Amino acid sequence: MTIMMPAADQAVLARREAIIAALRKLVPGEGVISSAAEMLPYESDGLMAYRQPPMVVVLPDTTEQVSKVLRYCHENGIKVVPRGSGTSLSGGALPLADAVLLGLGKFKRVREIDFDNRAVVVEPGVTNLAISQAVAHAGFYYAPDPSSQIACSIGGNVAENSGGVHSLKYGMTTNNLLGCEIVLMSGEVIRVGGKTAETSGYDLMGIITGSEGLLGVITEITVRILQKPETARALMIGFAEVEHAGQCVADVISAGIIPGGMEMMDKPAIHAAEAFVHAGYPLDVEALLIIELDGPGVEVDELIKRVEKIALGCGSTTCQISTSEQERLLFWSGRKAAFPAVGRISPDYLCMDGTIPRAALPLVLRRMKEMSAKYGLGVANVFHAGDGNLHPLILYDANKPGELQLAEDFGADILRLCVEVGGVLTGEHGVGIEKRDLMPEMFSEVDLNQQQRIKCAFDAQGLLNPGKVFPTLHRCAELGRVHVHGGKLAFPDLPRF
Amino acid sequence: MDILKVRDAQDVEQAVRAAIASEQPLEIIGHGSKRMVGQPIATNAVLDVSALNAVTSYEPNELILTVQAGAPMADVLSLIDSKNQQFSFEPMNTSQLLGTPDIGTIGGMISAGLAGPRRIQAGGARDHLLGVHAVSGFGDSYKAGGRVVKNVTGYDVCKLLAGAWGTLSVMTEVTLKVMPRAESERTLVLRGLDDIAANKAMTVALGSPFDVSGAAHLPGSALRTTQGTLGEIALPDQSVTLIRLEGITASASQRAVSLSTTLKSFGVAEILEDAASAVLWAAVRDVTPFAASGPRAMWPVWRIVTPPASGGALGQAIVKGSQGEVIYDWGGGLIWAALPPSVDAQAAQLRKLVNAAGGHATLIRAPDDVRRAVDVFHPQPKGIAALGERVRNSFDPKTILNRGRMSRGLGT
Repeated sequence: MTIMMPAADQAVLARREAIIAALRKLVPGEGVISSAAEMLPYESDGLMAYRQPPMVVVLPDTTEQVSKVLRYCHENGIKVVPRGSGTSLSGGALPLADAVLLGLGKFKRVREIDFDNRAVVVEPGVTNLAISQAVAHAGFYYAPDPSSQIACSIGGNVAENSGGVHSLKYGMTTNNLLGCEIVLMSGEVIRVGGKTAETSGYDLMGIITGSEGLLGVITEITVRILQKPETARALMIGFAEVEHAGQCVADVISAGIIPGGMEMMDKPAIHAAEAFVHAGYPLDVEALLIIELDGPGVEVDELIKRVEKIALGCGSTTCQISTSEQERLLFWSGRKAAFPAVGRISPDYLCMDGTIPRAALPLVLRRMKEMSAKYGLGVANVFHAGDGNLHPLILYDANKPGELQLAEDFGADILRLCVEVGGVLTGEHGVGIEKRDLMPEMFSEVDLNQQQRIKCAFDAQGLLNPGKVFPTLHRCAELGRVHVHGGKLAFPDLPRF
Repeated sequence: MDILKVRDAQDVEQAVRAAIASEQPLEIIGHGSKRMVGQPIATNAVLDVSALNAVTSYEPNELILTVQAGAPMADVLSLIDSKNQQFSFEPMNTSQLLGTPDIGTIGGMISAGLAGPRRIQAGGARDHLLGVHAVSGFGDSYKAGGRVVKNVTGYDVCKLLAGAWGTLSVMTEVTLKVMPRAESERTLVLRGLDDIAANKAMTVALGSPFDVSGAAHLPGSALRTTQGTLGEIALPDQSVTLIRLEGITASASQRAVSLSTTLKSFGVAEILEDAASAVLWAAVRDVTPFAASGPRAMWPVWRIVTPPASGGALGQAIVKGSQGEVIYDWGGGLIWAALPPSVDAQAAQLRKLVNAAGGHATLIRAPDDVRRAVDVFHPQPKGIAALGERVRNSFDPKTILNRGRMSRGLGT
């Protein structure tokens, strides 16, 4: 393990039995799990290279229980790691040896469907896909669609601000929320927003979304739902040069077209996917674009024509246009199966997540190829091309000594490159532990201190999900100190009027 | 009054640090076009950022614009318009409502976060602010977010700054998402519906697959004295309900026809095209029926955000209780209410109704003495108010920046 977690508090561990007994009183029945065997499934999340048994697992099923557990932990100085479905790819739900793992899996109810206000009120353990399924009969859906949508919980989506292939047009999680109920570390229950388009006062909903379980435990969420587009069709376009595909993406957007999805795959990803699902992908191209247009039929038909023409102008070598729903899904099948497909050609892979300005794509892919040679590890790329979100999959073998370390170093270099070309360290997977130590590549200490002060406003003792997101933890008292610089007139040369 | 006209981010840092040292709160302004919104600020020192007015970079292909916070909104709008792009959230031009000569700066646009009709489809200012450079009340320059569409690494600090009315930080540079302008637009005009029926029609339209990008209702009484396009479209004492569709021409026109059919039980819709449609939405966005140059100039104006499907009932109750006028945007989710003058702008009565509906109300226009007497921003439940105050404190513990603008308790 190359990422160090905060040292376990031995005094807390020494009280483990008493803590478990106290928690059993707060969450009766089977809600407290403490045997090593039963805690096994909670040792890791989607970042499976890292495992850590928690001190105890607590599975409450009411907001009141969550509140009581947090209040107890707050009063007793016990750390808490919240967890939804455990599909985080950045280690956001990785347990700590001296922390309570608070699972929200029992919060599975859809509480209210309000078609008139286009809002659905759900508990955090409801899966992303289940929301769309609950409203599908009336033609509605919930737009953000992370690849893990069958399994991932909406609470986790809020914590990570998840995206998906449709986020260019329909936004990320943060753009599709109306309200939430969160329990602060103190046990206090706060409700933000509701069925209104905007909240009053500061946008606390906005800061909670994507806060990776560090600010509060979400116990209810109100999401915005949309009517399903009348139709969707896709183009599958091959290019002999990555640059041509990149140009095509830029030209589509310059033409004022915002596709429902615009995905790119590089040659290794195309080959792995085609061998796995036989989607009919061209194998002699360097880059493949899948561009999906959705909306009214007449609009989609017209835009398909425009995109096809743009692609030809950019030197596309192949272009197939879906003529049926079945064919559209076939085009997508390879892209959607890209991760398991890569899993077939390599014993292990590391899925990275970073964002770059679209124009930098050819440069980034070229540099990645050089890094691949340097580290001696293969890399396959799938890419939300519309919004510049890269998912390089680094191929390695965990059984070969040192390869995980090599893969992680390779990944870190890719993310540094993202920042270097003007991008950011994350796209939609969060920082978690995976990118925690890279935060200084992007942010100065002053930047990070301001972020940590916000944490202090929610959780002054730093008990909620510590060791995630921030490489260095500061005490809130220290962060809150205002330094008085100089005398009363430190700006004598400033124009005054 | 001491006005500090800063030239760059270092100046801002220096000015805030000096203000901390001398315990001198600062009022932060760009063009000052929205100075009369909020609780009156008690200070005699103004930090003027209007000289930070450069366009740092504009990359239409990346859908990204980076500008200094003091850049004039009018200039930036014409810049992106020249590339056929726009801010999708349709920022309000407050000059008519507030009676100011200027429409303000980009920093003011974000700090106020007043989104127009397209908010129902495209989100608000907070959804389009990707990155920021700012100076906190600690006197430190920091950055947050990024210059790419998927912008957030770490906490999404930008969300807090949008709509914070300059109480958390002095923004010096912002990166915004821009989007292509629609090729074409159509507006369905329904006439003579009462507020409840209009609310219902808008709800049906917004629940349809036709991708509605604007849904507004203007009761006849509010239009009676309205000048300009909105006044001209209305027949005497008759309401108009407007529903907008945007996209490529073939699509917008076909959807307009289909939606008319869907709404036929509400009456026969006229369909307005492109320019004729656009002027109406600019007037709705800018709340021209309550313009400061019009007959409602002396009436306080409230901005009420409420669950959309019950907006019509709330608006009717407000009118009945106050003898005021309302107009509706966001399918009923945004109500602008102009009420006959009173010492408290009828705050107590209005907020009782708004609370019951699950909404919140901000007093956008009122004389100083009225704004001193009432909570301009909606009072929040204790827990959330305390959390909001802790968050504010995490940016500005000495309350240097726009002291008390959002909260009456902090003004003294």
